[in-house]
Amino acid sequence: MLAETGLAALTFAFALAVYAVAASALGGHKQLERWGRSGRNAALLTFPALLLATAMLVIALMTEQYQMSYVYSVTDPQTPALYRFTALWGSQRGSLLFWSLLMSLFAVAAIGLNWRGERRLMPFAIAFMMATLAFFLGLSLFLENPFERWWLLPQGAPGAQEVSSALIPPFAVTPSEAALRAGAQGLNPLLRHFGMVIHPPMLYLGFVGFTIPFSFAMAALAAGELSSGWIKATRRWSLIAWIFLSIGLILGGRWAYDVLGWGGYWGWDPVENAAFLPWLVGTAFIHSVIIQEKRGMLKLWNMLLVIATFSAVMFGTFATRSGVIESVHSFARSEVGFPMLAFWAVITLVALGLLLWRWGRGELSDERQFANLLSRESLFVLNNVVFIALFIAIFWGSFGLPILSELAFGKEVTIGAETFEFFVVPLFIAMYVLMGVAPLSAWGATSLPRLGAALRPPLLLTVLSILALALSGTGLLVATVGYGVALFAAYVALYEIYRGTKARRQALNESWPRALLALFRRNQRRYGGYIVHLGVTVIGIGIIGSTVFQTEVQHTLQRGDSIALRDYNLRFDDFIRAQAVDGRMMNITAVTLFRDGSEIARMRPRIDDYEQMPMTIAGAHSTLENDFYVLLIGGDSERATFRIYINPLVNLVWWGGILLIFGTVIAVYPKVTPAAGQRKREGTNG
Amino acid sequence: MLLPFVITAQGNRASDTEVIAVAERMYCPVCENIPLDECQTTACLEWKDEIAAQLAAGRTPQDVIDSFVARFGDHVVGVPQDPLIRALTFVLPALATLLALGAGLLTFRRFADSKKLSLERETVSGELSDASYRERLESDVRSLR
Repeated sequence: MLAETGLAALTFAFALAVYAVAASALGGHKQLERWGRSGRNAALLTFPALLLATAMLVIALMTEQYQMSYVYSVTDPQTPALYRFTALWGSQRGSLLFWSLLMSLFAVAAIGLNWRGERRLMPFAIAFMMATLAFFLGLSLFLENPFERWWLLPQGAPGAQEVSSALIPPFAVTPSEAALRAGAQGLNPLLRHFGMVIHPPMLYLGFVGFTIPFSFAMAALAAGELSSGWIKATRRWSLIAWIFLSIGLILGGRWAYDVLGWGGYWGWDPVENAAFLPWLVGTAFIHSVIIQEKRGMLKLWNMLLVIATFSAVMFGTFATRSGVIESVHSFARSEVGFPMLAFWAVITLVALGLLLWRWGRGELSDERQFANLLSRESLFVLNNVVFIALFIAIFWGSFGLPILSELAFGKEVTIGAETFEFFVVPLFIAMYVLMGVAPLSAWGATSLPRLGAALRPPLLLTVLSILALALSGTGLLVATVGYGVALFAAYVALYEIYRGTKARRQALNESWPRALLALFRRNQRRYGGYIVHLGVTVIGIGIIGSTVFQTEVQHTLQRGDSIALRDYNLRFDDFIRAQAVDGRMMNITAVTLFRDGSEIARMRPRIDDYEQMPMTIAGAHSTLENDFYVLLIGGDSERATFRIYINPLVNLVWWGGILLIFGTVIAVYPKVTPAAGQRKREGTNG
Repeated sequence: MLLPFVITAQGNRASDTEVIAVAERMYCPVCENIPLDECQTTACLEWKDEIAAQLAAGRTPQDVIDSFVARFGDHVVGVPQDPLIRALTFVLPALATLLALGAGLLTFRRFADSKKLSLERETVSGELSDASYRERLESDVRSLR
């Protein structure tokens, strides 16, 4: 019953989405209110339909309905309840349904919040949102159906004995429940981590979130409403999508650090890069829209950026789901490879076509022009150039070159971290410099002496910090330069907050905390942005410290022996072999960490032995100064081999991430104006 | 059960740290984009054993890497060894960045030129209007006389 209900709800949602595309496009094009409303209602109904479909799959996962082949492939009787639930996004079919549910949720919220204010744009925006949703629902329904069940065909029937099908094949019978329970495969061990519980939903929310600004941009092009209205309507959506994508990336890094067992958090792996690419171009977009809002400039460029962001989202989804990352040839074997590539190409071409049409009619001309190279808008454009250059370099290294090399030269290549670092390090340095200079320059034009005067305090602090670092023995030039530019950007953000607070304090005679709070309330976006910049600089300092000054050693120890590393001593105490409640065997070592002769931590680095693969779980002693990170490579009760890392400042990466999220929340949080507060009170009283 | 060791004996073989220094410049032949030093598959453990043996035999780290590239191809290292592919790896993104910067600078220059031109036009038209005004004023004064 669960499978039938789920399948019916999924089919209904698909039909609603297709209808919403047609009705909304007709309503918008012919300006027929009735059709527009009908399309809106169909779009709104997709959410309850998909909620029902998803609920059926979740119930099936939680109640061990192994006849459903998705449940069979991602859970087994030993799977804990939490991972039964998260198995919803543990594999292709479930995650496609979950993606659609989130897409529908965003669409419903966007319709609810913008229907009255953006009546002209909404039918077209709904058409684009529903076209994307219909595509993903089509994939779920026809190619990757999560409601397929196992069936046994009678003897002598053509084809395999066991088949997985959404519809009941003729004469098919249900396999025995005991056999299905015994054969259930369980969730990929790598996904049994708290980071993986939250990481995929965050990434999906980020990905689907960018569909909203894209749909509004396309609606603006289709309707010819090319003022900054679409940007104002979607400003918060862009930031919300960006924040989720950022959380997803940070959690992905944390998961890699905890679970993959290599002492790092970012490996320039194509899957990581596929999620990083939309973030880069999305970051360029959320900076660039400020110029259109404030100065009426870069209309064409913003359209290009929002198309590029959505295109990168679609390409990232295609790249990670199609198998093209493993090999250009395995992509063709994937069920969803060609449809996703086709959808990505079609939607990008349609978007570019609309853009060129409006541009050709001269409807995307700017209201102002660049007056001076030394202006905030010019520096924002340079910031955009840096982000786009990063995007090109990372796209080329992750996808462009490997695919070209395999297709044109028949050679498989690996583009490693050292190649990426060759490009990204100078570009990130440029990004930090611009992050420092741009906020201090004025709109329109600024003079060099004026900019110099504004830069003097943060520059002075930066020079003092660099001198302090040099005196403390940080001898490496690359690290000094890196710390210097990151600190410069941080000091500018802090200096701007200080200046604003001081000005309020002097003008309004407020206390420091009150002035600070009022400053953030008055301009949430700007000062929230400075907190985001602070977060990025803290992340930068963490990355420099943990990569440039990382210490790594591998050593085999007899039980009771110790190894000295810097001012630490690690002693191998014991080796334990145990079985977890979910059936996996665990090879656990007990080690004790000493610093300057005093015991500071006891750790248990271990290897979990799943049937398909071993998983290395690190033991770590974390402080703000560094992580003492121990991996068990192999061993027995007498001796064990450990890989030991000292990762200086690595925790700043996570703390910087939290600061970045906090800053974005400030920027996104709805502003409560005194007038709005008054209206609310009046409403309550009335 | 004995878990696999990367280095099974320390005798006349290279140290773990020396092996890692080479292995971290190479990639797993089975898993996509996983550095060799981090990978624990059987193939990787065998490769690491071979690296240790080659280092113990007196070969330099670069010799060891070259021998693997010669046998298994470019994808065992993180930087393509084929000169053409290597050139494509580095030249194209650098060129794209330079082009983007060049286009940006040209745009600024065009805006600056157009601004300068419009200022010149304004000045010239200002001068003309001044001259015609003066002429009209003088003719008015003359007519009053």
